[in-house]
Amino acid sequence: MLEKWKLREVIVLSVLAVVFAVVYLVFLQFGNVLYGMFGLIGYDLIFGIWFIVSIIAAYIIRKPGAAFLSETIAAAIEVMIGNAVGPRLILSGMIQGIGAEAVFAATKWKNYRTWVLIAAGMGSSVTSFIWGYFISGYAALSPAYVTAMFFVRLISGALLAGLLGKWLSESLAKTGALNSFPIGKELKRGKTKNGITA
Amino acid sequence: MPLHKFNPSIKAFTVIVCVLILSVFFDPVTPFLTLVMTAAATFIFGRVSFKRWILLFSPFIFMAAVYIWSALIFSKTIEGETILWSWGIFTLTEEGFQRALSLGMRVLSFTSLSLLFILTTKPTEFLLSLMQQCRLPPKLAYGIMAGYRFLPLMKEEFEIIRSAHRIRGVPKARTLPEKMAEFKRYTVPLLAGAIRKAERTAMAMESKGFTGDKNRDFYHKISVSWKDWAYFAIFIGAVLFSTYISWLLGFLKLYNGEL
Amino acid sequence: MALQHKQPLLITEQLSFRHEDVKNPIFKNVNFSLYPGEAVLLLGPSGCGKSTLAFCLNKLYPEAVDGELDGTISFKGKKFEEFRPGEINQHIGIVFQDPESQFCMTTVEDELAFGLENMKTPPEEIESKIDEALELVDLLPYKHTLIHTLSGGQKQKLALACVLSLKPEILILDEPTANLDPASSYELTRIIKKLKENQAFSLLIIEHKLDDWIDLTDRCVVLNREGEILFNGSTADCFNKYAEELLLEGIWLPSAVRAGLIGKKAGIYKGEKLPLTDQELIAGFVNPYAALQILDNQKTKHQVSEEQIILSAENLYFHKNGKDLLKNISFSVRKGEFVAIAGSNGSGKTTLSGLLAGLYAPSKGSILFGDRSLSQWKEQELRLKLGYVFQNPEHQLIADSVFDEIAFSLKIQRMTDADIKKVVQAVLHQVNLLQHADMHPFSLSQGQKRRLSVASMLVNDQDLLLLDEPTFGQDARTSVELMKLLETKIQSGGSVVMITHDMEILHSYADKVIVLSEGEKIYDGLPDALWKKEEIMKIASLKVPYIEKLRNNIGSIAGREKFALT
Repeated sequence: MLEKWKLREVIVLSVLAVVFAVVYLVFLQFGNVLYGMFGLIGYDLIFGIWFIVSIIAAYIIRKPGAAFLSETIAAAIEVMIGNAVGPRLILSGMIQGIGAEAVFAATKWKNYRTWVLIAAGMGSSVTSFIWGYFISGYAALSPAYVTAMFFVRLISGALLAGLLGKWLSESLAKTGALNSFPIGKELKRGKTKNGITA
Repeated sequence: MPLHKFNPSIKAFTVIVCVLILSVFFDPVTPFLTLVMTAAATFIFGRVSFKRWILLFSPFIFMAAVYIWSALIFSKTIEGETILWSWGIFTLTEEGFQRALSLGMRVLSFTSLSLLFILTTKPTEFLLSLMQQCRLPPKLAYGIMAGYRFLPLMKEEFEIIRSAHRIRGVPKARTLPEKMAEFKRYTVPLLAGAIRKAERTAMAMESKGFTGDKNRDFYHKISVSWKDWAYFAIFIGAVLFSTYISWLLGFLKLYNGEL
Repeated sequence: MALQHKQPLLITEQLSFRHEDVKNPIFKNVNFSLYPGEAVLLLGPSGCGKSTLAFCLNKLYPEAVDGELDGTISFKGKKFEEFRPGEINQHIGIVFQDPESQFCMTTVEDELAFGLENMKTPPEEIESKIDEALELVDLLPYKHTLIHTLSGGQKQKLALACVLSLKPEILILDEPTANLDPASSYELTRIIKKLKENQAFSLLIIEHKLDDWIDLTDRCVVLNREGEILFNGSTADCFNKYAEELLLEGIWLPSAVRAGLIGKKAGIYKGEKLPLTDQELIAGFVNPYAALQILDNQKTKHQVSEEQIILSAENLYFHKNGKDLLKNISFSVRKGEFVAIAGSNGSGKTTLSGLLAGLYAPSKGSILFGDRSLSQWKEQELRLKLGYVFQNPEHQLIADSVFDEIAFSLKIQRMTDADIKKVVQAVLHQVNLLQHADMHPFSLSQGQKRRLSVASMLVNDQDLLLLDEPTFGQDARTSVELMKLLETKIQSGGSVVMITHDMEILHSYADKVIVLSEGEKIYDGLPDALWKKEEIMKIASLKVPYIEKLRNNIGSIAGREKFALT
């Protein structure tokens, strides 16, 4: 998978993962507050933020594996800098990454329009929820509550990962830092409306 | 032998297997015993100070408390359970209480296992081990290492940006759109700087002849010996021992999602 | 030097490079050769493609970017395309400009091992090679140190060691001292000079500040703005014949050459050729002491108000993490005054500026700003009166366009849109950025970003401007532009406090200098008197400005002559 990647892309991927690993840790604290206020579902309100690096990495780098690897590395770095969920978190990261990657794969990694990014965020919501159901014992909760949690997480994935990720990537492209990536080149040519790469 | 000396990949594998075994069961006693044994090992064989450990552990105590609270309030009540307390739509049963406690303990036992790994493993050695034992491609491993190096730098930059916002008189974000703008004002400059540095780092690595070639002879060799497998066996043994005690005390229960 | 009869190591023929989607090539039709053992200086204005050329010569480009390279490069008669990936890097090494982004490992030892492993060095030989390379750059005691705790100068030495460990035949230096303070920068050049004498490698040097390099170069290659070769020949010829053309192209001249040129125009330099060294310069002056007077009268004098004190610090202390970062510091800044703060890295300069800006409170002591103590000011009010310019301009840019950047604080003050537009346009006009009003601040050039960051602090007409090493890592032209802006600020009655390593700036602009060492004030007074205090200069690792160095050289030559006569 990595043979076709330039070293530059690999390191940019890893840097994105590092930055968002820190963001993820910050939001963990925020999540804990929401937890206290609303119970488990409070966590789901902002769950989407934990998928955002998949969307940003895929949207910027546009190569197979970007969504999956970025989420996995972000989780690995979170573990290294002290998220006590530990190596299990890497597994969670992989599962979240697979959800988004599957959506991009379905477009053969060619289509990066808004709806695809939103769908990718929701893809992570689905896979992460299935995983959470088994590992965190959601089965202990009432089915109505679990259903509510699922839909809240789905919307959160669409908004906080899909749309916010798109918005941040485009803000970043405007700074000129992404000029050597497809997204920066599109911006230069003024063709941002349709995110399709030939 | 201190825990730092064991092979990082096997340590990570051990944590994952222990977590998988623990997830099969659902009672408060098994994870509690594992938690106690793991913490003890961290202090005695890992030479980790209690202060450092509890600093990282305490947020998870809070998280476990929230788990317990959620499970208590929002749990479904099965007929025939002993009701301890009831108010409106909320009902607390003895079985429900045990389930909630199991959930909390589960979180804490996972955390203690992970902390043992984090506090006794150097990131560089973990990556070297992943390359040498688990065939992680060097391109990815050194890419991650290069990115990881940016962390202290970004911490400094974050502090500077925060000062800069004060200097520029940026008002405190109150509403949601303001908070979004604030989030962007921090992440975009950090990312823009980091991405440009990443591109330069990639060039510097290539200028040192790095091609991502998988045939690599390492200066710093991370080996696997029978001691590492003994470590693995001891930890798995400890978890199984916890389940045995729990079974003796009559608590042991399988987790099968039907609760 | 009689090197030309040897076979060249590296030859380029008709080399041109063009970025994808850009019509004009960065450089074009470059033909030049590098011979074994010689040192070549590659000169050219900012943006003429010097670095791009260096990257091509190391085979990093065009692979690393989307671009097109035409023409051929060959090393020892073998074309670049015939080398396997990574193979050429064993023969041609490069040290880059930015000390922060050259490494991928966490410790010094691991970083060196990384390069040696890439070259398939047998693991049992690696340790001795690491030690050998570290010894060459005096870093052996730091073998197990974490890289991010090293200073900028040490990082550059490490980058050099990494390259040297591979025993390259060509060493390319791409502005290795641009981000270093003068003391570290001088140290690095001395190490390279020493290496050059004992090791057989060729050097290709790209630099802006040439003084420390001139004595070790054999030849100069000059690129013009269009990226074509303007000159290729001996260093002496280059500056003798083309000094004025170089200036026109915006290329920084060595100090002796520049002084010679000024002297020649003033009719006091009678040398046949322009000087490369101080000795030649002094020998060419009819009357060296009179010449000093003429060279030195570029110094700026400010109308400093005698009684009006704008800021005064009294007995400041600052502790953090159990360390005393500042001890008993007192001084004052008057209206219309330019105060410079100097001192070596870690002497507490930035901490002091943070206290003065009210970013953190002193542990003991007080700061009076205007009519009241700094702590009594309301945050918003204070920011309208006191500006702060960060070392890296990007850090303080917060808006999405150049226009909004300047408008930002005006919007907070609820000014009307029409007024905002008027003020912003006036400010952007002053800093010559009006035509870029719609661009994203980050996409500006280095110099433009610097001007914008200062402009954002000029818009409220602040009484006091604090600047933290604003000329650090900037090219000569940017520094000149910045100083012009600060001069206007002072002319209009503002005061400036600037942390700086640049003794030339300090000499030409500062009314007062404060020197810090290990958190204590060791000097507070006129710059001219500072140059005489040898001990303080040494403790704070400051270098005397060029004109003072010249004065000392004239003195010692005169002394020697007198001695020879008696």
